[in-house]
Amino acid sequence: MESIPIKTPRPKPGVCIEWDEKRKDLPDIRGDEDLFRRIWEDNEALAYLYIWQVLLSF
Amino acid sequence: MAQDMEQLYQQRLKRYVTAMRNEKPDRVPIRPFVAEFTAKYAGYTCQEVTHDYRLAFEAAVRCAEDFDWDAVVANMVYVWTGLTQAIGLKYYATPGLEIDVNTGFQYREPPEDEAFMQPEDYEALIEDPTGFLFNVWLPRVSTEVVETGSPCTYRNNLSFLKGGMAMLSYFGAFGPQTQRLRTECGTVSAIAGIFKAPFDILADKLRGYLGLTMDLFERPDKVMAACEALMPHLLHVALSGADPEKNVPIGFWMHRGCVPFINRQQWARFYWPTLKPIIEEIWRHGHQVLFYAEGKWLPHLDAFLELPEGSIVFHVDQDDVFEVHRKIGHKFAISGGIPNFLLAYETPDKVRAFCKRLIDEVARDGGYIADASAIMQNEISIENMRVMTESIRDYGVY
Repeated sequence: MESIPIKTPRPKPGVCIEWDEKRKDLPDIRGDEDLFRRIWEDNEALAYLYIWQVLLSF
Repeated sequence: MAQDMEQLYQQRLKRYVTAMRNEKPDRVPIRPFVAEFTAKYAGYTCQEVTHDYRLAFEAAVRCAEDFDWDAVVANMVYVWTGLTQAIGLKYYATPGLEIDVNTGFQYREPPEDEAFMQPEDYEALIEDPTGFLFNVWLPRVSTEVVETGSPCTYRNNLSFLKGGMAMLSYFGAFGPQTQRLRTECGTVSAIAGIFKAPFDILADKLRGYLGLTMDLFERPDKVMAACEALMPHLLHVALSGADPEKNVPIGFWMHRGCVPFINRQQWARFYWPTLKPIIEEIWRHGHQVLFYAEGKWLPHLDAFLELPEGSIVFHVDQDDVFEVHRKIGHKFAISGGIPNFLLAYETPDKVRAFCKRLIDEVARDGGYIADASAIMQNEISIENMRVMTESIRDYGVY
């Protein structure tokens, strides 16, 4: 049996709700969107870490 | 003194890493995976070290101070039941509650018809594993979390808040603990990060072993698709916790792929094709993986030889360590293989004799890290641990 390629799913690993989905909830962004995206994903990573660590470590 | 301790740390780190790269260090490194043994040695009950991680950390440091070990896990009593209680996880037997205060925590698998994931849930898992875990799995494994769509409760809200804060508290304490081992004991923290095989996750926490073995016959395509869906996430988690210095390996706890849990055809169809690419990808990122091969894996050693040289460290549990070394020792470092029964119940002379044979036959050219076969709980004899340590030190000089 050959190895199975690792896919890139949606949502991507590391987040629960993608920024693109969250962005739809927001009004037009006047400032730096990358900053909003980065901080959103940083916090998403904590929620992602929580559930996957519960599954793997506890 | 601090300078001496740092020198000792660097010496041990070099010894440990050299052996893991399957090379010959100055002497055989000792890296015992001591769990509830640390409680026994430090004078705590299993309840104390399991329910108060600060005591577990203290016990780990006490052992590292007193034994001449090169590396230890910062806390091998890894399940902090304060955290699991905050979340409401129902699959643990906790020392002092369901089991005696001096019995190590236990994992309890539900009956097949009460599995945390049912056959009809496969599609939801495959579609979005993370969403499935939050929305379907967590309410089933927690006494506190309510089903999605049900009225929210006070306890539901507290489970997420307390669980999240407790996890941050616990994981945040590992940095200072690792530093304490380094500065107070000169001891290396043995592993960083966690990995499990997709198949093992399905068997351990989702369908359960019995349910999954039925699925292998009744819905094999679903099993395969579920393993594929889990792959990128398990890779991501493994890499996110890995050692940034790329010295110590990611711990891979191997469960249900071994003999005789599944047969060779099932292993070759489901387990290995969804595991191998992840190990190769982790290696491309420069990290070794410690294959903590619980049980017997001898029939699969030829498959492991397909992996890049040096990409794994193979830990021997129930297999014959001498035979494992003959088969894969030319390509990968080996750890473990000292029977726990020997360390718990046999005489010091027998421990000494086994360690000497181990060094003569397995460690003679390097590439061996001394450890027991399995994680050491409180049945292990303190005297025999001293004898094992002294024997490896006395005989294991290159």
